[in-house]
Amino acid sequence: MGKPKVGIYGLTGCAGDQLAILNCEDELLDIAGALDIKSFPMAMSGGDENCPLDIVFVDGAVVQPKDEELLKRLRERATLLVAIGTCAVWGGLPAMKSEIAREELKRKVYGRAGKIFDTTAPQHLSRFVKVDLSISGCPIEKEQLLQSVASLLHGDLPRLPNYAVCTECKMAEYPCVLLEKGQLCLGPITVAGCKARCPSYGQPCIGCRGPVEEANVSSEVRVLKEKGFTWFDIQNRLRTFAAPADCFEDKIFKEGANA
Amino acid sequence: MKIVKLPKENLAKFVSSLSSFGQIHAPVKRGEKSLAFGPVSDFAQIQLNYTRTILPLKKYFFKPIDTMFNFSAEKGYELPMEEPEQRNVFFGVHPCDIHGLKILDLVFSGRYVDNYYFARRNNAAIIGLDCIPDEFCFCRSTGTDFVDSGFDLFLSDIDESYLVRVGTSLGDDMVKATESLFRDIEKQDREKYKGKSIEKRESFQIQIQLQDLPGIMDLEYDSPIWEELGQDCLSCGTCSMVCPTCYCYAVFDELDLDASSGRRMRRWDSCLFKDYALVAGGHNFRAERSSRVKNRFFHKQRGFVSQYGRPSCVGCGRCKAYCPAGIDIVEVINKLRSEIRV
Ligand code: SF4
Ligand code: SF4
Ligand code: SF4
Ligand code: SF4
Repeated sequence: MGKPKVGIYGLTGCAGDQLAILNCEDELLDIAGALDIKSFPMAMSGGDENCPLDIVFVDGAVVQPKDEELLKRLRERATLLVAIGTCAVWGGLPAMKSEIAREELKRKVYGRAGKIFDTTAPQHLSRFVKVDLSISGCPIEKEQLLQSVASLLHGDLPRLPNYAVCTECKMAEYPCVLLEKGQLCLGPITVAGCKARCPSYGQPCIGCRGPVEEANVSSEVRVLKEKGFTWFDIQNRLRTFAAPADCFEDKIFKEGANA
Repeated sequence: MKIVKLPKENLAKFVSSLSSFGQIHAPVKRGEKSLAFGPVSDFAQIQLNYTRTILPLKKYFFKPIDTMFNFSAEKGYELPMEEPEQRNVFFGVHPCDIHGLKILDLVFSGRYVDNYYFARRNNAAIIGLDCIPDEFCFCRSTGTDFVDSGFDLFLSDIDESYLVRVGTSLGDDMVKATESLFRDIEKQDREKYKGKSIEKRESFQIQIQLQDLPGIMDLEYDSPIWEELGQDCLSCGTCSMVCPTCYCYAVFDELDLDASSGRRMRRWDSCLFKDYALVAGGHNFRAERSSRVKNRFFHKQRGFVSQYGRPSCVGCGRCKAYCPAGIDIVEVINKLRSEIRV
């Protein structure tokens, strides 16, 4: 294809994944040269908000009705929709307290000011529209972004890791913090791609990239309980980045609480 | 085989002298409790009494991630830059890991010779060292607790000295280069060595029966054990990464932003991964985790025996020691055999 027409947008979130694009300092000119960036509200003014797009990158979660509207509109405009960042792929941090009613949360956090806006339980993009490619990460990894852009330019979808953080942890021969230090590591159920950054510093994986395909959450919970962690600590960690994911459905939390 | 003796007080001098044969790599500390093979410049870094490193030596020859070739629209295919022709001397390799390398040699020298592997492997000198089994080791059961070939030198502890078996002419050169450090063996050394051999044989905490296991596995193909393991296994891939004889890899391309150049890469793969047996059309002939765990055991203990005449497991205990879910190969085999004594 010629230079693809691209839009880069954010819903509710910290915009860290859009920032991660801007942070590709050495490659930024190449990216700008390879893509025809029609709109990137965070980085440039005067974008075209109506033209059809070949690819749209979207970060953030759907947390307000206006997010849903924008998302659906972007889906209509774009041939390929790419979710970038754990919020867009799994709901991310905004969704960590979704078990509490929204109205109650709003009252606690914003008091009276909360009256002036609407909010819904945070959800990831695929709950509303078809997502063609998901690049998770909090924030996304530069290498994965560049690989993805290169593959899309080539007319392919990239082959991103769909194995667990443990695999990268062992490939790099880091000592296991779960076994050696008894830390609450979510590496076994978290999707790789960060090269096991946290274990590389002797810290446990807290699951910021979201669950790996077919994550065996019940076994992870059993392992962590055997290590002596309380259900309170385990569920807090499980809910931190990807609470809306199917593998963390209520059943798991009920099982985990009772087991 | 030439056999000499190295008094322990000469070991440091001898190891330092090896740097004239190449870069020395030996077991060193990794984090607080773990060990890994790594380059050493100072003898004091070497952990002589280690039991196992996280990764076996395969990481040096069959790298976790490796570039197979570069490609571009103008230049076509190009092999990656040759690594400098430098010999690596691996000091302190245990018998199970030497057996592991011999198995990889066998596999990678088959019908399609893996030149990426042999380019590095052929430049490696192996200096073995014997060891005391811990609660994870079962190399006696796999017949890999002693080693008769596959090393340039092999050192066995006989209290005040090491008995040094010379396996190759390179090993002989190493001894000759520092001849004054070595002594001839005497009668009491021979007796010491034999006594130590018995001592090691008797020090195993785990014994399992592997003879006739392939048949038993066929009988237990539909055992509920596989389902149970499938429930516990996290598909985390750890067991394959740390296994000295897991050699599967996945091939993929990395593209540059010009979308017309890039690299063909390979990285370690695992049959525990969901997409390992995924083929065109979306068919997955091992979609269930239980069938994938079963595959790992069947390949090690059943399929490999049919193809190469021996199991590929060398009893190093790594998969058991590092599995986050506590899946224990010894327990699985004993269950399959309905062994009462565990
Ligand atoms: S430290 Fe965490 S990521 Fe690494 S192997 Fe252990 S459980 Fe897996
Ligand atoms: S190790 Fe886990 S928490 Fe740390 S960066 Fe990777 S996915 Fe995120
Ligand atoms: S299967 Fe386990 S015990 Fe056997 S060689 Fe591999 S890691 Fe070692
Ligand atoms: S290390 Fe254990 S949990 Fe991980 S894939 Fe292997 S058997 Fe499964």
